[in-house]
Amino acid sequence: MTRKSGHTANWAPSRRAFLTGAAGAALTTSAATALPGAARAAGDPAITEIKDWNRYLGEGVDAAPYGAPSPFEAHVVRRDVPWLTADPVSSVNFTPLHELDGIITPNGLCFERHHAGVATIDPAEHRLMINGLVDTPLVFTMQDLQRFPRENRLYFLECAANTGMEWRGAQLNGCQFTHGMVHCVVYTGVPLKLLLDEAGLKASGTWLLAEGADAAAMTRSIPLEKALDDCLVAFKMNGEALRPEQGYPLRLVVPGWEGNMWVKWLRRLEIGDAPYAQREETSKYTDLLDDGTARRHTFVMDVKSVITSPSPQAPVTHGKGPLVITGLAWSGNGRISRVDVSLDGGRNWQTARLDGPSLSKALHRFYLDIDWDGSELLLQSRAIDEAGYVQPSKDALRAARGVNSIYHNNGIQTWQVRADGVVENVEVS
Amino acid sequence: MLKFPKDLAIAATFAAAAILGQPIGQAVAADPEAGAKVYNKCKACHAVGEGAKNRVGPHLNGVFGRTAGSLEDYKYSKAMREAGEEGLVWDDATLGEYLAGPRAIIKGTKMAFAGLKKEEDVANLLAWLRRESGGADAAADEEPQAEEAEPAAAPEQPDAKPQAEDSQAASEAYTPPADAAPHGTYNLGRRATEEEVAAWNIDIRPDGKGLPPGRGTVSAGETIYTEQCASCHGVFGEGAGRWPVLAGGFGTLDDQRPVKTVGSYWPYLSTVYDYVRRAMPFGDARSLSDDDVYAVTAFLLYLNDVVTDEDFELSHENFTQYRLPNEPNFKADDRASEAHYADRSEPCMTECKPGPVTVEMRAAVLDVTPDAENGEQMGSGAVD
Ligand code: HEC
Ligand code: HEC
Repeated sequence: MTRKSGHTANWAPSRRAFLTGAAGAALTTSAATALPGAARAAGDPAITEIKDWNRYLGEGVDAAPYGAPSPFEAHVVRRDVPWLTADPVSSVNFTPLHELDGIITPNGLCFERHHAGVATIDPAEHRLMINGLVDTPLVFTMQDLQRFPRENRLYFLECAANTGMEWRGAQLNGCQFTHGMVHCVVYTGVPLKLLLDEAGLKASGTWLLAEGADAAAMTRSIPLEKALDDCLVAFKMNGEALRPEQGYPLRLVVPGWEGNMWVKWLRRLEIGDAPYAQREETSKYTDLLDDGTARRHTFVMDVKSVITSPSPQAPVTHGKGPLVITGLAWSGNGRISRVDVSLDGGRNWQTARLDGPSLSKALHRFYLDIDWDGSELLLQSRAIDEAGYVQPSKDALRAARGVNSIYHNNGIQTWQVRADGVVENVEVS
Repeated sequence: MLKFPKDLAIAATFAAAAILGQPIGQAVAADPEAGAKVYNKCKACHAVGEGAKNRVGPHLNGVFGRTAGSLEDYKYSKAMREAGEEGLVWDDATLGEYLAGPRAIIKGTKMAFAGLKKEEDVANLLAWLRRESGGADAAADEEPQAEEAEPAAAPEQPDAKPQAEDSQAASEAYTPPADAAPHGTYNLGRRATEEEVAAWNIDIRPDGKGLPPGRGTVSAGETIYTEQCASCHGVFGEGAGRWPVLAGGFGTLDDQRPVKTVGSYWPYLSTVYDYVRRAMPFGDARSLSDDDVYAVTAFLLYLNDVVTDEDFELSHENFTQYRLPNEPNFKADDRASEAHYADRSEPCMTECKPGPVTVEMRAAVLDVTPDAENGEQMGSGAVD
């Protein structure tokens, strides 16, 4: 055996590749029966042979001032879907949910969506302005902002268009692509209310406009009530400075609401007495219904869940026996109170185990540990939030809205697990 | 049609340029670092460097020494191909002229770019482009001009830093007006000046709040649109390739494949003005004057049949009189009243539907998942 084990080299999210690869073949048969007699007698070479890493010295502490994942994890990356948009500068890539566990998304794997590329901003030249219906229009430097009392909060951020490609039916084979426009990190920042109070809100103010400093000068209108409730102006994610693609040096955090409203590279907050009807809340982020009318201001992200493993990019490679079914659930209405999992396409359900912290408007991790008999599974998960909303089926959503809404598709996902362990995105009766 | 039908004419045009302006290759002050910034104006349409592909415009690798309009896998305008056939080759002088005013030199080029106004920008950009476009033809490298350009550019680099520091020092050195009156609880931050608020406060509401003074006609808008918008959005707003469609689509909103445009879908005209002013043209935002934006907005009304007269003039005075037809068809968020949400009872746990459940649709039938094996297959849908 060489140092690089076969399954990591040239990894591609392909079912065929995993089945034909030599490593794949070894993995698909169960360990007890597969070891050839000779190897059993001599023992596992992973044990009986002295490995390079056990003999030679590794790299020193000066090799990687900013560490990176193991080279064996090189396939765990954001991926994009080139046919979706005209140009990679105004486009999106997706979080590899099928490779992650727990509820925190590592910073470098948080999906990206921006409308004019990633702005590169020198924090020394960044300013946040508050204007409009306030007593004193103000300008803050980054240093000013870091002198306000701070909070740390864990929130999911989901793009309203997450799962938007699946309205017409099963299309993309991988939860990275069907559900990967979501991430969850710890934000450090200043409550927006503190900043607005510093400027002094006039009584007539009812709406807030948030604006970014990028070449799209991204803008969204937010009801003032929400702004004063739980929004943050954040400068850190998972303890370190925001990544450039997540809005360095400053972004708005709008818990539980459409990702597009979490304006990145935040430079201005204006208070007004009416919504601003910006492009991202008229042409975009409005939900076209079957009859040609459209809903606007559909801010809240509905209750939703997905099984991340097994899933098309994370097939079952170990054969029958103990199998961990795991996934994520979240709701813009608060905590997740329960997740049910079905193995038979939604006929019968059993309640999954939630593990790890259960925080309002954050991702929740669930598990169902089963003893797989090797027969076909039609896996589904169904989340219920603390407000009592139950994640609907895709057909129920289509009946209510048609298939041209793009946004807010939180329908129940089905994965078919075949006897050979291959998993496919399907829709069922 | 062409400004230079014969080699001679080309030579003459560019010789004249060399007398008027600095012959770029010998420009002492060319600063490739500053050129990188100028290139930001080209980025929306051109790629350069390793793995660069054609985008709206052809890739620029090896552009020095390239015959104009000669990349095989790019579809040029007739005008550009003809210029190449007639002997136009890109070098410092010809590029300098072209970038200063693309349409003045090659009438009919489809490069929707107004031109670089400052000679300094052209010189810096070319110094940078020469470095980045790598693999420049051997022929180009052998030109004596090129050899002069490189050593001239190199010593400039150390200068780039102090310059940057200067600008930072300048912004830190800004002393806000004396405004001793304390504000808020923490008295953090300072009062914004009127000029500062005006510089950033460019949003416009449906009721007209925020509209700057100004005016522009449909025909003025057509000129700007043709030069600066049509390469992506199509001459009639029909959208080139997958770039956004801006016009048409009337009566399609309840179709299988609705076409959402300014005319068919957008509720308010103010959004057109606001958005074009803040974000377009893509890659060169904030470059249009307020009058230009009125003109382009008027032209988009015309493309969408909201106005029909080419002499129509849109201004801050008459702006709010114009309404977009789809305004009444937007309604409030009523998701909570949908059947599956309205009933918040316990969901079914056993025998919830007749069995056995069967598979009715598979993603693999239409495999558009990006991976090594399905190549260029396109799916349907959008992210916004
Ligand atoms: C709005 C899109 C757009 C912008 C911005 C733009 N270009 Fe172009 N460019 C084009 C198109 C389209 C063509 C092809 C022209 C034709 O066929 O007539 C082109 C052609 C060219 C060519 C000729 C290449 C060849 O193969 O003959 C050069 C050189 C060039 N552009 C450089 C630049 C530079 C440098 C900038 C920035 C200062 C720039 N362009 C900005 C779209 C653009
Ligand atoms: C280089 C290509 C390019 C050029 C040139 C360009 N645009 Fe755009 N335009 C885009 C892209 C890309 C978007 C979508 C941006 C996003 O994703 O947010 C867009 C969006 C728009 C929209 C909103 C479309 C919608 O349905 O929401 C309008 C209106 C628009 N452009 C007008 C213009 C005008 C007017 C000009 C000329 C002054 C122009 N554009 C020049 C690429 C271009």
